[in-house]
Amino acid sequence: MKKNIIYITLLFFTLSSCKKYLDVNENPNSPTTAPINGLLGQTTYQSALNVFRVGNLTANYVQYLASPNAASSSDIYEPIDASGSWTSLYNTMTDIYDLEKLGASSGSTQHQGVAKILMALNLKMVHDLWGNAPYSEAFTSLKLTPVFDDAQALYNTCITLVDAGIALLQQPGSAITLSTSLDFIHKGNTAAWIKTAYALKARLLMLISKKGTFNANNVITALNNSYTSNNDDAAITAFNIRNPWAQVALDNAGLLLGGWLSKQYVDMMNGTIYGIIDPRLPLIASITRFNDYRGTRNGAGRVGNGTSFEESYISTTGYYSSNTSPLFIVTYSEVKFLEAEARFRKGGDLPAAYNAYLEGIRANMNKIGVSAVNRDAYVNDPSVSVGSANLTLALILKEKYKSIFLNPETWNDARRNNYLYQGFSLPLNAALPSYIRRLDYPSVELTRNGANVPAITGLDQKLWWDQ
Amino acid sequence: MKKMLILFLLVLPLSLLAQQQVKGKVTDEKNNPIAFASIQEKGKSNTVIADANGAFNITVQNGNAVLIITSAEFLPQEIKVNNQTIVNSQLKSSGNLEEVVVTAFGVKREKRSLGYSAQDVKGEELTQSKQPNIINALQGKVSGVQINSGGGAPGQGASILIRGVKSLDPGRNNAPLFVIDGVIMDNSTSNVGQQASLRGMSNRAADINPDDIESISVLKGGAATALYGQVGSNGVVVITTKSGKAGKIQVGVTSSYGIDQVNKFPEVQTKYSQGYSGVYNMNDFWPSWGPTVAAAKVLDPTHPDQIYNHYARGYQNGNQFRTSINMSGGNENALLSSSVSYFKQEGTIPFTDYKNISARINGTFKFSDKLKFNPSIYFINSGGLRYNADRYNESLTYWSPRWDVMDYIKPDGTMKSYGNNNPIYGAATNQFKDDVDRIIGNMNWVYSPFIWLDINYRLGIDQSNDFRTYTAPGPKGLVGEIPYEDNGLGFVNEYRIKNRILNSNLIATFKKDWTKKFGTVLRVGNDVRDQTYDRLTAEGTELDIPDLLSLNNTKFRTTSQYKEKYRIVSFFGELTMDYDNFLFLTVTGRQDQTSTLAPGNNSYFYPSVSFAGVFSDKIKLPSWWSYGKVRASWAEIGKDYDPYSLNVYYGSYVLSSTGQVLWTRNDAKGDAALKPEKTRTLEIGTELKFLKNRLGLDFSWYKLNSRDQIIPVAISPTTGFTSTIINAGEIENKGVEISLNAVPIKNKNFSWDVNLNYTANRNKVLSIREDLTEIVVASQFGYGGSSVTMKYVPGYAVGNLYGTSYLRYYAGGKPDDGVTLQKDLPIVITATGSNAGFPTRDAKQRILGNAQPTWIGGIVNSFRYKDFGLSFQFDTQQGQYKYNQLGNFMSAFGIAKYTEDRDDAQTYAGVLPNGTSNTQVVYSGQGTKPDGRNYGNGYYRNVYRGVSENFVEDASWVRLRNLTLSYNIPSGVMAKTFMKSATVSFTGNNLWLHTDFTGYDPESSSFSSGSNATGFAGFTYPAMRSYFMTLNVNL
Repeated sequence: MKKNIIYITLLFFTLSSCKKYLDVNENPNSPTTAPINGLLGQTTYQSALNVFRVGNLTANYVQYLASPNAASSSDIYEPIDASGSWTSLYNTMTDIYDLEKLGASSGSTQHQGVAKILMALNLKMVHDLWGNAPYSEAFTSLKLTPVFDDAQALYNTCITLVDAGIALLQQPGSAITLSTSLDFIHKGNTAAWIKTAYALKARLLMLISKKGTFNANNVITALNNSYTSNNDDAAITAFNIRNPWAQVALDNAGLLLGGWLSKQYVDMMNGTIYGIIDPRLPLIASITRFNDYRGTRNGAGRVGNGTSFEESYISTTGYYSSNTSPLFIVTYSEVKFLEAEARFRKGGDLPAAYNAYLEGIRANMNKIGVSAVNRDAYVNDPSVSVGSANLTLALILKEKYKSIFLNPETWNDARRNNYLYQGFSLPLNAALPSYIRRLDYPSVELTRNGANVPAITGLDQKLWWDQ
Repeated sequence: MKKMLILFLLVLPLSLLAQQQVKGKVTDEKNNPIAFASIQEKGKSNTVIADANGAFNITVQNGNAVLIITSAEFLPQEIKVNNQTIVNSQLKSSGNLEEVVVTAFGVKREKRSLGYSAQDVKGEELTQSKQPNIINALQGKVSGVQINSGGGAPGQGASILIRGVKSLDPGRNNAPLFVIDGVIMDNSTSNVGQQASLRGMSNRAADINPDDIESISVLKGGAATALYGQVGSNGVVVITTKSGKAGKIQVGVTSSYGIDQVNKFPEVQTKYSQGYSGVYNMNDFWPSWGPTVAAAKVLDPTHPDQIYNHYARGYQNGNQFRTSINMSGGNENALLSSSVSYFKQEGTIPFTDYKNISARINGTFKFSDKLKFNPSIYFINSGGLRYNADRYNESLTYWSPRWDVMDYIKPDGTMKSYGNNNPIYGAATNQFKDDVDRIIGNMNWVYSPFIWLDINYRLGIDQSNDFRTYTAPGPKGLVGEIPYEDNGLGFVNEYRIKNRILNSNLIATFKKDWTKKFGTVLRVGNDVRDQTYDRLTAEGTELDIPDLLSLNNTKFRTTSQYKEKYRIVSFFGELTMDYDNFLFLTVTGRQDQTSTLAPGNNSYFYPSVSFAGVFSDKIKLPSWWSYGKVRASWAEIGKDYDPYSLNVYYGSYVLSSTGQVLWTRNDAKGDAALKPEKTRTLEIGTELKFLKNRLGLDFSWYKLNSRDQIIPVAISPTTGFTSTIINAGEIENKGVEISLNAVPIKNKNFSWDVNLNYTANRNKVLSIREDLTEIVVASQFGYGGSSVTMKYVPGYAVGNLYGTSYLRYYAGGKPDDGVTLQKDLPIVITATGSNAGFPTRDAKQRILGNAQPTWIGGIVNSFRYKDFGLSFQFDTQQGQYKYNQLGNFMSAFGIAKYTEDRDDAQTYAGVLPNGTSNTQVVYSGQGTKPDGRNYGNGYYRNVYRGVSENFVEDASWVRLRNLTLSYNIPSGVMAKTFMKSATVSFTGNNLWLHTDFTGYDPESSSFSSGSNATGFAGFTYPAMRSYFMTLNVNL
């Protein structure tokens, strides 16, 4: 009897196929591989958003924007924790890494090429903000605490990536072609990608303008293969709900304050500094209750409770901040300013530099929708059309500053040229005695990979290319 | 269900056919009355309960009746009535012989035979403190158990930890298994929904009405829980609900009402008003960096004479109310017990509440002497409005005390504010609500075909449906409207969760006495657990009509789902041998096969062995020494992991403007080679009783090692993941537990009982994976780089808190190891630059304290004088440190009391970098001071707030946890009413608290009840001081 009971028990529970019963560990929610074009969509979209994220971090340092609160950390050079942006950049690069691997294993040279270009774009932003950062041991989790590669090595990697991306995109016979709908930047157009790659290369080559290894000819060579019109611009126009700057503007309109224009930017645009009103300003900024444009001094904060329209903001209908505004990564206008600077630095061909300078202004004005009359009136103003003999680096940088509004590249320009902007001054309540030069490493890295994070001496410590 | 009700109704009239009255009194061996003994007519269902003086009055069928008299701690007695009308009964004490404890799978075993520590808590002890959460009710009552109420939110979860943290997994719940009437019960804390982990969500054990509980048995060590296997690896809390007693129908009604207040507020400055750098601005973001109140009043005639204490002002009196009705009755063949209960609580943060409605029915049906059937069903509906306490306190901190925070709404329904967000308006409009329907069902058959064989089968189900809604209205678009930030343009989020645990359990028990002195009990069994989890999330943002809170009214909608299955099949056996009822040896083994590990690793065996010896039976002890027992045990437990942890997965989202699906690599990395985690426990202990059992001592020492830990580690996003599962590392817990109980006085009218529990646990991370130097458990933000991180570092205790400190002067002293903080060394004062004259910040991450208490104690004193009862309980936790994030913000925003020194010239104690004494005179305030120096943003913002050392505070506490005064209305009075007995009691909880912690009550936690991140107590839902009045009536 005793035995029978045991047998019955065992029969009942074991013969009902224990193995099959326990075979329920296949995840019904998520796949273990992703569709290649699904990764393409993710990486093109998020790379553009990273440009926004980094632009948002740096906008106060270049005084495009100012905080509505007095002595805000984002204005006054106090350490800020950029863990969110750091994580977004690395998450995107992780997906780019997978896209590149999937492209390689499936013989899709197009996806592989785009992956390399996108990797260079994102890695350069990391390099520009922090200097040394993980790359050679990143993305695989083979090492749980990746080492920080030397910033200069990262810089060289970026150049290699761009070159490799161009070579891959020039190869015929990709096993899979780029999805026209999921390539949010260039709609599957490989020629456009190649031009963008050259624009990024020119940016990289220009970044070392302080260094002895700088070669203006290399910049010009890269630019020769890059954009030729506004139609070539790298930008995204599809969003989850709306353009992220539009979200900032909309929140501000709903009094969740943000997107406040800096006094420096407004003064450069409204005639205070240069005596000429830039016709782009009304197409970008909101008008105050005094019927003019006023900025907020960085570090000074708001007047009143911030609801009385005593200052200008990026507008919900502005060119950069309406719901459907494109979010720019690199533009033809920027390319022309790179050319102007390269030719200016090279010397010997000032008229070409001057033409590129004027074309950069016109291109941006055309893009923004300034009328031809207003555009020409501005361009022909003696303070702008100074003549090729009178062209200066300051003029080129001033117009580039205006033309690549909100783009993170401006902070690189500012540092490369020691904040050479007329009227530029330290924010009120500044925590540093001089201009900010770099970011602190984010807490997410300090807490999880602290042993590898390089020590920094302060936010006024210059990165290698800034020295 | 219907059948049970019919049976119940049938049983009722039987007890009404009575014919003869018998009176009597129940006393002990010394003729002291025994209160509330049970008197039953043998073979019949009529039962009465004696009063507090032992007197009873029972109606029996005829003069030949036999009375069975029972009372806890006494041997039952049968007395023939023999046509007498007065029958007195003298009961003999059961001594130690009958002390019975509920062990694994509800098996009742004599305590003397156990080779491990097990502690019982009676229902009355649990309900005394009127804690709505049964976990809180256990506080201080059991040794080896650390309980922390998460905070004072209505329905807030509480955490329970038995013998320390056993898993290094920062997110894994180290809480014990809860078993209710044999059914494995869910005690998770679900944090589904935005910021749910900051909302004090209930742990699922909080669903249980403490009034329903007959007793709780706490099984602590590996040998005690061996039969439960891995689910019991953190200990097991075995809940037995009240069951019916044969006899007349019994009705009990308990009703209580309580008032709750915040028990501790931080100290605030009262001198300075709104603005920055001493400049007044009534719309400024900065709440307290302005000029003095007197100066502000000159500039602003509307300025109040005194600024508000915005913390005290932001909390209200809460209240709670519970009524429970118990009914039971039946005869020997059919017994039923039922209860219904209603609980409602309103929180101290406005617009937070919780309610719980429960209904329960338990039955015992005897079909024959061989077959019994015990069904039970428990239905619960619970939930309420849960505001994010972290956000509330953060907003309160930003709110300028120049303005009354309670003046939060305009007549048109929009927020009233000078500029910053009003937290009360937030709580009123930004609402998160959970609504849980739960059923715990149990069917249990016991078949006893032979005297030596019992077969017990149980099918249990615990299913809950949790509907959560998170909504906020959009701006109304009115002129002059200031919208509330977190509400955005309005949103409606719906979360629907179904969680089901099915449990099938079969045990056959063979008993055999081989000789007069040697017997064995063999149990073999099978256990199957089957869990499913299903979640659907629908989120819509931007409302079309501002206040229509429906998904139909949202402009952008996203949906997602998650499904999970988990199964485990186990076989187990237990053999107990006893020799002469004084030596006991138990051996167990269990084989688990789990669905979550890969074949090859998914089947694992683990054994346990335990020994008990009652030496007082064999050795002649002095007369004052009544009882002595030693015990020892060794056990191993294997443990699997969560489903779907063997791979890397990709997740998706939809771009709402184009409808395209984008794919991204998930942040969590799995590991295909996961093998089970192993925990080994060694435990020895003794139970001693003295002075005729008036004094008892229970002592345990244990050592517990967990190897091959399965831990999801937070890793740098540069790795391509933000967490990875590793399968390495060892953690060790060692500790002692002491329980002492004494009855210093016990006589007819007066008795005094003392119960003391002491626990000390030490643990250490022995190793983690070779390529990792540390594991981050949690990190919390602090201004100026003062974030505090809780980490596991090999060689150090679990729970160390790391952060920045003041630089110490080491020359000539102990060398700096770069990790420990030598607080006794002088602080280095900066000599030059903008911070000259102020203490120097050391950015190195050093150990600032440990979040675990070095010891925990609780002492309960109970007095009874005639019909009055008084009991009070002191609890303490000593030696733990916690990060006070609120304190960090209070320094950054100039709210803390100590920032009142901003206009005082002073010299900071310490030495200059060259070792000479500091003599620099400085001001700690902002801007230019009388010495002509411009201090910029001031010391508190430039230095103080960036030093974590200032905010990692000693969070030790001693408190008067509970004080209860009760009065039994005398039976003489009761006899004239329809009631059998009635008790009125007054209870106060948390009436006194002693702590050096400067924030809210440090017992509260910033993280949810399931979390191991215990070192953070800043922006918590503050704990409460409560006053209750309770009426208990038995009909």
